[in-house]
Amino acid sequence: MRNDLHDRMLSAHEARDRIALIKLYAEAADSMNDIDASCFFLTHAYVFALEAGSPDAKVLHARLKQHGREA
Amino acid sequence: MTQPITDLSSVCANVEQANGLPNAHYIDPTIYAEEKQALLFSQWAGLAVAADVPEPGDAVPLNFVGMPLLLIRDKDGDVRVFQNICRHRGMILVEEPRKIEGAIRCPYHSWCYSTKGDLVATPHVGGPGQNTHDAIKRNELGLIEVRSHVWRDVVWINVSGDAPAFEDAMSDVMHRWREFELPLYHGGHDSRFTLEVNTNWKLAVENYCESYHLPWVHPGLNSYSKLEDHYHIEQPGQYSGQGTLVYRQLTNENGETFPDFEEVGSRWNEQAEYIAVYPNVLLGTHRDHAFAIILEPRGPEHTIEHVHLYYSVPDSDEGLRMRNSQLWKTVFEEDIFVVEGMQRGRHADQFDGGRFSPVMDSPTHCFHHWVADKIATHRSLAKAAE
Repeated sequence: MRNDLHDRMLSAHEARDRIALIKLYAEAADSMNDIDASCFFLTHAYVFALEAGSPDAKVLHARLKQHGREA
Repeated sequence: MTQPITDLSSVCANVEQANGLPNAHYIDPTIYAEEKQALLFSQWAGLAVAADVPEPGDAVPLNFVGMPLLLIRDKDGDVRVFQNICRHRGMILVEEPRKIEGAIRCPYHSWCYSTKGDLVATPHVGGPGQNTHDAIKRNELGLIEVRSHVWRDVVWINVSGDAPAFEDAMSDVMHRWREFELPLYHGGHDSRFTLEVNTNWKLAVENYCESYHLPWVHPGLNSYSKLEDHYHIEQPGQYSGQGTLVYRQLTNENGETFPDFEEVGSRWNEQAEYIAVYPNVLLGTHRDHAFAIILEPRGPEHTIEHVHLYYSVPDSDEGLRMRNSQLWKTVFEEDIFVVEGMQRGRHADQFDGGRFSPVMDSPTHCFHHWVADKIATHRSLAKAAE
Protein backbone atom coordinates (compact mmCIF):
# COMPACT_ATOMS: atom_id res chain seq x y z
CA MET A 1 0.00 0.00 0.00
CA ARG A 2 1.24 3.47 -0.83
CA ASN A 3 2.49 5.55 2.10
CA ASP A 4 0.18 8.45 1.34
CA LEU A 5 -2.87 6.13 1.38
CA HIS A 6 -1.72 4.72 4.70
CA ASP A 7 -1.37 8.25 6.09
CA ARG A 8 -4.81 9.25 4.81
CA MET A 9 -6.29 6.15 6.47
CA LEU A 10 -4.69 7.04 9.79
CA SER A 11 -6.00 10.59 9.51
CA ALA A 12 -9.49 9.32 8.75
CA HIS A 13 -9.32 6.96 11.72
CA GLU A 14 -8.15 9.82 13.89
CA ALA A 15 -11.05 11.98 12.70
CA ARG A 16 -13.51 9.05 12.92
CA ASP A 17 -14.51 9.98 9.39
CA ARG A 18 -16.39 6.86 8.33
CA ILE A 19 -17.23 8.12 4.86
CA ALA A 20 -13.53 8.70 4.17
CA LEU A 21 -12.67 5.31 5.66
CA ILE A 22 -15.08 3.54 3.30
CA LYS A 23 -13.44 5.20 0.30
CA LEU A 24 -9.87 4.73 1.48
CA TYR A 25 -10.25 1.04 2.32
CA ALA A 26 -12.00 0.45 -0.98
CA GLU A 27 -9.16 2.25 -2.69
CA ALA A 28 -6.69 0.03 -0.85
CA ALA A 29 -8.62 -3.07 -1.91
CA ASP A 30 -8.53 -1.95 -5.53
CA SER A 31 -4.80 -1.38 -5.39
CA MET A 32 -4.04 -4.96 -4.38
CA ASN A 33 -3.13 -7.65 -6.84
CA ASP A 34 -3.73 -10.43 -4.36
CA ILE A 35 -7.38 -11.47 -3.78
CA ASP A 36 -6.87 -12.20 -0.07
CA ALA A 37 -5.28 -8.83 0.55
CA SER A 38 -7.96 -7.15 -1.50
CA CYS A 39 -10.74 -8.84 0.46
CA PHE A 40 -9.06 -7.87 3.71
CA PHE A 41 -9.40 -4.19 2.80
CA LEU A 42 -12.82 -4.67 1.22
CA THR A 43 -13.98 -6.12 4.52
CA HIS A 44 -12.98 -2.95 6.33
CA ALA A 45 -14.68 -0.77 3.74
CA TYR A 46 -17.81 -2.91 4.09
CA VAL A 47 -17.85 -2.74 7.91
CA PHE A 48 -17.49 1.03 7.92
CA ALA A 49 -20.21 1.29 5.27
CA LEU A 50 -22.52 -0.88 7.40
CA GLU A 51 -21.81 1.25 10.43
CA ALA A 52 -22.46 4.46 8.55
CA GLY A 53 -25.61 3.16 6.89
CA SER A 54 -23.98 3.96 3.57
CA PRO A 55 -25.52 2.67 0.32
CA ASP A 56 -21.97 1.52 -0.57
CA ALA A 57 -22.51 -1.39 1.82
CA LYS A 58 -24.65 -3.22 -0.71
CA VAL A 59 -22.01 -3.06 -3.45
CA LEU A 60 -19.18 -3.95 -1.10
CA HIS A 61 -21.17 -6.88 0.26
CA ALA A 62 -21.78 -8.12 -3.27
CA ARG A 63 -18.06 -7.97 -4.06
CA LEU A 64 -17.16 -9.91 -0.93
CA LYS A 65 -19.89 -12.46 -1.58
CA GLN A 66 -18.66 -12.90 -5.13
CA HIS A 67 -15.33 -14.02 -3.70
CA GLY A 68 -16.97 -16.30 -1.13
CA ARG A 69 -16.01 -14.02 1.76
CA GLU A 70 -19.44 -12.98 2.96
CA ALA A 71 -22.77 -14.65 3.56
CA MET B 1 -23.13 -18.91 48.85
CA THR B 2 -25.13 -18.88 52.05
CA GLN B 3 -28.60 -17.50 51.44
CA PRO B 4 -29.10 -14.30 53.43
CA ILE B 5 -31.92 -14.67 55.87
CA THR B 6 -34.03 -11.98 57.42
CA ASP B 7 -37.20 -12.74 59.32
CA LEU B 8 -40.04 -11.11 57.42
CA SER B 9 -42.94 -12.77 59.22
CA SER B 10 -43.88 -9.65 61.17
CA VAL B 11 -43.88 -7.59 57.96
CA CYS B 12 -46.74 -9.71 56.63
CA ALA B 13 -48.84 -9.34 59.76
CA ASN B 14 -51.97 -7.21 59.77
CA VAL B 15 -51.12 -3.53 59.42
CA GLU B 16 -52.07 -2.98 63.05
CA GLN B 17 -49.43 -5.40 64.26
CA ALA B 18 -46.92 -5.35 61.43
CA ASN B 19 -43.36 -4.11 61.51
CA GLY B 20 -41.63 -2.62 58.54
CA LEU B 21 -38.81 -4.35 56.70
CA PRO B 22 -35.69 -4.96 58.79
CA ASN B 23 -32.70 -2.61 58.50
CA ALA B 24 -30.74 -5.10 56.40
CA HIS B 25 -33.14 -4.53 53.51
CA TYR B 26 -31.89 -0.99 53.26
CA ILE B 27 -28.19 -1.21 54.05
CA ASP B 28 -26.87 -4.74 53.50
CA PRO B 29 -25.16 -5.36 50.12
CA THR B 30 -26.05 -9.07 50.24
CA ILE B 31 -29.75 -8.35 50.72
CA TYR B 32 -29.51 -5.68 48.02
CA ALA B 33 -28.19 -8.34 45.63
CA GLU B 34 -30.99 -10.68 46.65
CA GLU B 35 -33.60 -7.98 46.08
CA LYS B 36 -32.08 -7.24 42.68
CA GLN B 37 -33.23 -10.68 41.59
CA ALA B 38 -36.39 -10.99 43.70
CA LEU B 39 -37.83 -7.51 43.24
CA LEU B 40 -36.31 -5.99 40.11
CA PHE B 41 -35.13 -8.59 37.59
CA SER B 42 -38.07 -10.97 38.09
CA GLN B 43 -40.72 -8.24 37.72
CA TRP B 44 -41.65 -5.57 35.18
CA ALA B 45 -39.37 -2.78 36.32
CA GLY B 46 -39.00 0.73 34.95
CA LEU B 47 -35.81 1.32 33.00
CA ALA B 48 -36.24 4.60 31.12
CA VAL B 49 -38.78 6.46 29.00
CA ALA B 50 -39.35 6.06 25.29
CA ALA B 51 -38.83 9.81 24.95
CA ASP B 52 -35.15 9.13 25.70
CA VAL B 53 -34.88 7.66 22.18
CA PRO B 54 -37.25 9.81 20.10
CA GLU B 55 -35.89 8.98 16.63
CA PRO B 56 -35.08 5.70 14.86
CA GLY B 57 -31.44 4.82 15.50
CA ASP B 58 -31.27 6.72 18.80
CA ALA B 59 -29.38 4.59 21.30
CA VAL B 60 -28.72 5.13 25.00
CA PRO B 61 -26.49 2.87 27.10
CA LEU B 62 -27.89 2.32 30.57
CA ASN B 63 -26.82 0.50 33.68
CA PHE B 64 -29.70 -1.27 35.37
CA VAL B 65 -28.67 -2.44 38.83
CA GLY B 66 -25.23 -3.28 37.49
CA MET B 67 -26.38 -4.80 34.19
CA PRO B 68 -25.23 -2.98 31.04
CA LEU B 69 -28.21 -2.43 28.75
CA LEU B 70 -28.81 -0.61 25.51
CA LEU B 71 -32.07 1.26 24.94
CA ILE B 72 -32.60 1.77 21.23
CA ARG B 73 -35.31 2.76 18.79
CA ASP B 74 -34.90 0.49 15.81
CA LYS B 75 -35.16 1.48 12.18
CA ASP B 76 -38.90 0.73 12.17
CA GLY B 77 -39.49 2.93 15.21
CA ASP B 78 -39.91 0.18 17.81
CA VAL B 79 -38.26 0.65 21.19
CA ARG B 80 -36.04 -2.27 22.17
CA VAL B 81 -33.71 -3.13 25.02
CA PHE B 82 -30.63 -5.27 24.53
CA GLN B 83 -27.80 -6.33 26.73
CA ASN B 84 -25.13 -3.84 25.71
CA ILE B 85 -22.51 -6.46 24.93
CA CYS B 86 -21.05 -8.11 21.88
CA ARG B 87 -21.77 -11.83 21.54
CA HIS B 88 -18.11 -12.35 20.63
CA ARG B 89 -16.04 -11.31 23.65
CA GLY B 90 -18.64 -9.56 25.77
CA MET B 91 -17.28 -6.12 24.99
CA ILE B 92 -19.47 -3.09 25.75
CA LEU B 93 -20.92 -1.97 22.42
CA VAL B 94 -22.14 1.57 22.98
CA GLU B 95 -20.43 3.81 25.52
CA GLU B 96 -22.39 7.06 25.10
CA PRO B 97 -25.84 8.10 23.87
CA ARG B 98 -25.68 8.49 20.09
CA LYS B 99 -27.44 7.95 16.82
CA ILE B 100 -26.83 4.59 15.14
CA GLU B 101 -26.73 5.54 11.46
CA GLY B 102 -26.47 2.01 10.12
CA ALA B 103 -25.20 -0.84 12.25
CA ILE B 104 -23.90 -1.12 15.79
CA ARG B 105 -20.19 -1.93 15.38
CA CYS B 106 -18.35 -3.48 18.28
CA PRO B 107 -15.26 -1.33 18.86
CA TYR B 108 -13.15 -4.42 19.60
CA HIS B 109 -13.23 -6.75 16.54
CA SER B 110 -15.97 -4.93 14.62
CA TRP B 111 -18.73 -7.51 14.72
CA CYS B 112 -21.79 -5.58 13.56
CA TYR B 113 -25.44 -5.72 14.63
CA SER B 114 -28.58 -4.20 13.15
CA THR B 115 -30.75 -1.96 15.32
CA LYS B 116 -33.05 -4.97 15.65
CA GLY B 117 -30.18 -6.93 17.19
CA ASP B 118 -29.33 -9.18 14.24
CA LEU B 119 -25.66 -10.08 13.82
CA VAL B 120 -24.91 -8.83 10.32
CA ALA B 121 -21.12 -8.90 9.99
CA THR B 122 -18.29 -10.92 11.49
CA PRO B 123 -15.18 -9.51 9.84
CA HIS B 124 -12.16 -11.84 9.52
CA VAL B 125 -13.90 -14.46 11.67
CA GLY B 126 -12.66 -17.20 9.34
CA GLY B 127 -9.23 -15.60 8.88
CA PRO B 128 -8.10 -12.39 7.17
CA GLY B 129 -10.67 -11.36 4.59
CA GLN B 130 -12.77 -14.45 5.37
CA ASN B 131 -15.90 -13.13 7.02
CA THR B 132 -17.83 -16.31 7.69
CA HIS B 133 -17.11 -19.56 9.46
CA ASP B 134 -19.35 -22.58 9.81
CA ALA B 135 -19.01 -22.52 13.58
CA ILE B 136 -20.22 -18.95 13.87
CA LYS B 137 -23.91 -19.01 13.07
CA ARG B 138 -25.04 -15.43 12.81
CA ASN B 139 -28.70 -16.25 13.28
CA GLU B 140 -27.87 -17.69 16.71
CA LEU B 141 -25.69 -14.83 17.83
CA GLY B 142 -27.86 -11.75 17.74
CA LEU B 143 -27.83 -9.31 20.61
CA ILE B 144 -29.46 -10.63 23.75
CA GLU B 145 -32.80 -8.87 23.90
CA VAL B 146 -34.41 -8.03 27.21
CA ARG B 147 -38.18 -8.35 27.32
CA SER B 148 -39.63 -4.85 27.24
CA HIS B 149 -42.94 -3.04 27.00
CA VAL B 150 -43.82 0.64 26.71
CA TRP B 151 -46.77 1.89 28.75
CA ARG B 152 -47.36 5.53 29.65
CA ASP B 153 -44.07 6.14 27.84
CA VAL B 154 -42.18 4.17 30.50
CA VAL B 155 -39.96 1.41 29.15
CA TRP B 156 -40.62 -1.52 31.46
CA ILE B 157 -38.29 -4.50 31.38
CA ASN B 158 -38.44 -8.03 32.70
CA VAL B 159 -34.82 -9.17 32.86
CA SER B 160 -35.59 -12.73 33.97
CA GLY B 161 -37.95 -13.14 31.02
CA ASP B 162 -40.48 -15.21 32.94
CA ALA B 163 -42.90 -12.65 34.37
CA PRO B 164 -46.49 -12.81 33.10
CA ALA B 165 -47.20 -10.80 29.96
CA PHE B 166 -47.12 -7.07 30.73
CA GLU B 167 -50.82 -6.54 30.00
CA ASP B 168 -51.66 -9.35 32.41
CA ALA B 169 -49.27 -8.26 35.14
CA MET B 170 -50.48 -4.65 34.91
CA SER B 171 -54.11 -5.25 33.98
CA ASP B 172 -55.54 -3.72 37.17
CA VAL B 173 -53.65 -0.46 37.02
CA MET B 174 -54.18 -0.22 33.26
CA HIS B 175 -57.91 -0.65 33.84
CA ARG B 176 -57.92 1.87 36.68
CA TRP B 177 -56.47 4.53 34.39
CA ARG B 178 -58.13 3.34 31.18
CA GLU B 179 -59.59 6.82 30.58
CA PHE B 180 -56.03 8.09 30.25
CA GLU B 181 -55.03 5.64 27.51
CA LEU B 182 -54.35 8.59 25.27
CA PRO B 183 -51.23 9.96 23.59
CA LEU B 184 -48.77 11.39 26.10
CA TYR B 185 -46.42 14.12 24.93
CA HIS B 186 -43.18 14.55 26.83
CA GLY B 187 -42.68 18.22 27.63
CA GLY B 188 -39.09 18.11 26.36
CA HIS B 189 -35.89 19.31 27.97
CA ASP B 190 -37.68 21.57 30.46
CA SER B 191 -39.83 18.67 31.62
CA ARG B 192 -37.19 16.23 32.76
CA PHE B 193 -34.91 16.35 35.76
CA THR B 194 -33.07 13.97 38.01
CA LEU B 195 -32.60 13.93 41.75
CA GLU B 196 -29.71 12.04 43.34
CA VAL B 197 -30.70 10.82 46.73
CA ASN B 198 -28.75 9.02 49.43
CA THR B 199 -31.41 6.46 50.14
CA ASN B 200 -32.46 2.95 49.30
CA TRP B 201 -34.92 3.01 46.38
CA LYS B 202 -37.65 1.37 48.47
CA LEU B 203 -37.82 4.33 50.85
CA ALA B 204 -38.67 6.56 47.89
CA VAL B 205 -41.54 4.19 47.05
CA GLU B 206 -42.71 4.09 50.65
CA ASN B 207 -42.76 7.85 50.99
CA TYR B 208 -44.59 8.28 47.69
CA CYS B 209 -47.31 5.83 48.68
CA GLU B 210 -48.78 7.73 51.59
CA SER B 211 -50.41 11.10 52.15
CA TYR B 212 -49.77 11.06 55.90
CA HIS B 213 -46.65 13.20 55.54
CA LEU B 214 -48.14 15.83 53.24
CA PRO B 215 -49.14 18.50 55.78
CA TRP B 216 -45.78 18.22 57.54
CA VAL B 217 -43.38 17.92 54.65
CA HIS B 218 -45.32 19.78 51.95
CA PRO B 219 -47.08 22.63 53.78
CA GLY B 220 -47.50 24.45 50.48
CA LEU B 221 -49.62 21.63 49.11
CA ASN B 222 -51.58 21.47 52.34
CA SER B 223 -52.84 25.01 51.82
CA TYR B 224 -55.34 23.67 49.33
CA SER B 225 -54.93 19.90 49.32
CA LYS B 226 -55.61 18.87 52.86
CA LEU B 227 -55.06 15.47 54.37
CA GLU B 228 -58.77 14.76 54.53
CA ASP B 229 -59.06 15.37 50.78
CA HIS B 230 -56.90 12.31 50.08
CA TYR B 231 -57.74 8.66 49.77
CA HIS B 232 -55.69 5.48 49.74
CA ILE B 233 -55.08 3.36 46.67
CA GLU B 234 -54.18 -0.26 47.39
CA GLN B 235 -53.95 -3.22 45.07
CA PRO B 236 -52.09 -5.88 47.05
CA GLY B 237 -49.29 -7.47 45.09
CA GLN B 238 -49.25 -4.80 42.41
CA TYR B 239 -49.40 -1.16 43.39
CA SER B 240 -50.42 1.36 45.99
CA GLY B 241 -50.60 5.09 46.38
CA GLN B 242 -52.90 7.96 47.06
CA GLY B 243 -55.47 10.13 45.35
CA THR B 244 -56.73 13.64 45.91
CA LEU B 245 -60.21 15.07 45.40
CA VAL B 246 -59.18 18.70 45.16
CA TYR B 247 -56.73 18.90 42.28
CA ARG B 248 -56.42 22.49 41.10
CA GLN B 249 -55.06 23.30 37.67
CA LEU B 250 -51.98 25.44 37.31
CA THR B 251 -52.62 28.78 35.62
CA ASN B 252 -50.37 31.43 34.14
CA GLU B 253 -50.68 35.21 34.50
CA ASN B 254 -53.41 35.21 31.84
CA GLY B 255 -55.42 32.58 33.64
CA GLU B 256 -54.60 29.98 31.01
CA THR B 257 -54.27 26.30 31.85
CA PHE B 258 -52.85 23.25 30.10
CA PRO B 259 -55.37 21.65 27.74
CA ASP B 260 -57.10 18.60 29.24
CA PHE B 261 -56.63 15.05 28.11
CA GLU B 262 -59.70 14.76 25.95
CA GLU B 263 -62.72 12.83 27.13
CA VAL B 264 -61.27 11.65 30.41
CA GLY B 265 -64.57 12.37 32.08
CA SER B 266 -65.80 14.87 34.61
CA ARG B 267 -64.83 12.75 37.60
CA TRP B 268 -61.24 13.79 36.92
CA ASN B 269 -62.01 17.52 37.03
CA GLU B 270 -60.71 17.79 40.56
CA GLN B 271 -59.33 14.33 41.10
CA ALA B 272 -55.73 13.21 40.65
CA GLU B 273 -53.94 9.99 41.51
CA TYR B 274 -50.39 9.06 42.46
CA ILE B 275 -49.51 5.42 42.20
CA ALA B 276 -46.33 3.48 42.93
CA VAL B 277 -46.35 0.62 40.45
CA TYR B 278 -44.13 -1.99 42.06
CA PRO B 279 -41.26 -2.23 42.01
CA ASN B 280 -39.79 1.13 41.02
CA VAL B 281 -42.09 3.35 38.97
CA LEU B 282 -44.00 6.26 40.48
CA LEU B 283 -46.79 7.59 38.30
CA GLY B 284 -49.09 10.57 38.62
CA THR B 285 -52.01 11.60 36.49
CA HIS B 286 -54.24 14.67 36.35
CA ARG B 287 -56.81 16.02 33.91
CA ASP B 288 -54.14 18.08 32.14
CA HIS B 289 -50.73 16.52 32.78
CA ALA B 290 -49.02 13.40 34.00
CA PHE B 291 -45.63 12.39 35.28
CA ALA B 292 -43.48 9.33 35.61
CA ILE B 293 -40.63 8.88 38.05
CA ILE B 294 -38.27 6.00 37.48
CA LEU B 295 -36.26 5.07 40.53
CA GLU B 296 -32.83 3.90 39.49
CA PRO B 297 -31.24 1.87 42.29
CA ARG B 298 -27.52 2.64 42.37
CA GLY B 299 -26.62 0.71 45.51
CA PRO B 300 -28.15 -0.09 48.88
CA GLU B 301 -28.04 3.56 49.90
CA HIS B 302 -28.10 5.50 46.65
CA THR B 303 -30.93 6.17 44.22
CA ILE B 304 -31.37 8.38 41.19
CA GLU B 305 -34.90 9.61 40.56
CA HIS B 306 -35.60 10.32 36.88
CA VAL B 307 -38.60 12.61 36.61
CA HIS B 308 -40.52 13.18 33.35
CA LEU B 309 -43.59 15.37 32.80
CA TYR B 310 -46.16 14.80 30.08
CA TYR B 311 -48.98 16.78 28.49
CA SER B 312 -52.02 16.15 26.31
CA VAL B 313 -50.66 18.08 23.33
CA PRO B 314 -47.24 18.28 21.71
CA ASP B 315 -47.07 22.07 21.79
CA SER B 316 -48.09 23.00 25.35
CA ASP B 317 -47.22 26.44 26.65
CA GLU B 318 -43.51 26.64 27.50
CA GLY B 319 -43.93 29.09 30.36
CA LEU B 320 -46.59 26.94 32.01
CA ARG B 321 -44.46 23.85 31.50
CA MET B 322 -41.48 25.44 33.19
CA ARG B 323 -43.68 26.60 36.07
CA ASN B 324 -45.13 23.11 36.43
CA SER B 325 -41.69 21.49 36.36
CA GLN B 326 -40.52 23.86 39.08
CA LEU B 327 -43.60 23.15 41.16
CA TRP B 328 -43.07 19.40 41.07
CA LYS B 329 -39.32 19.72 41.54
CA THR B 330 -39.94 21.71 44.71
CA VAL B 331 -42.35 19.05 45.99
CA PHE B 332 -39.99 16.17 45.22
CA GLU B 333 -37.02 18.01 46.70
CA GLU B 334 -39.01 18.53 49.89
CA ASP B 335 -39.13 14.74 50.23
CA ILE B 336 -35.37 14.28 50.05
CA PHE B 337 -34.59 15.00 53.69
CA VAL B 338 -37.12 12.40 54.85
CA VAL B 339 -35.97 9.57 52.62
CA GLU B 340 -32.33 10.35 53.44
CA GLY B 341 -33.20 10.68 57.12
CA MET B 342 -35.00 7.31 57.16
CA GLN B 343 -31.99 5.82 55.36
CA ARG B 344 -29.57 7.05 58.04
CA GLY B 345 -32.05 5.76 60.60
CA ARG B 346 -31.64 2.23 59.21
CA HIS B 347 -28.17 2.14 60.75
CA ALA B 348 -29.67 2.14 64.26
CA ASP B 349 -29.11 -1.47 65.34
CA GLN B 350 -32.15 -1.84 67.56
CA PHE B 351 -34.68 -0.51 65.04
CA ASP B 352 -37.34 -3.14 64.45
CA GLY B 353 -38.56 -1.84 61.09
CA GLY B 354 -40.98 0.51 62.77
CA ARG B 355 -44.77 0.44 62.95
CA PHE B 356 -47.53 1.62 60.68
CA SER B 357 -50.49 3.86 61.35
CA PRO B 358 -53.34 1.42 60.71
CA VAL B 359 -55.33 4.30 59.23
CA MET B 360 -52.74 6.36 57.37
CA ASP B 361 -49.93 3.98 56.38
CA SER B 362 -51.71 1.07 54.79
CA PRO B 363 -50.49 1.87 51.23
CA THR B 364 -46.91 1.72 52.53
CA HIS B 365 -47.60 -1.50 54.37
CA CYS B 366 -49.06 -2.85 51.12
CA PHE B 367 -45.66 -2.29 49.52
CA HIS B 368 -43.76 -3.90 52.41
CA HIS B 369 -46.05 -6.91 52.19
CA TRP B 370 -45.32 -7.19 48.45
CA VAL B 371 -41.58 -7.02 49.11
CA ALA B 372 -41.81 -9.71 51.79
CA ASP B 373 -43.90 -11.97 49.55
CA LYS B 374 -41.55 -11.64 46.59
CA ILE B 375 -38.53 -12.35 48.75
CA ALA B 376 -40.21 -15.37 50.29
CA THR B 377 -40.97 -16.71 46.81
CA HIS B 378 -37.40 -16.06 45.69
CA ARG B 379 -35.96 -17.82 48.73
CA SER B 380 -38.21 -20.82 48.37
CA LEU B 381 -37.26 -21.17 44.68
CA ALA B 382 -33.59 -20.88 45.56
CA LYS B 383 -34.01 -23.52 48.25
CA ALA B 384 -35.86 -25.84 45.88
CA ALA B 385 -33.06 -25.40 43.33
CA GLU B 386 -30.52 -26.55 45.91
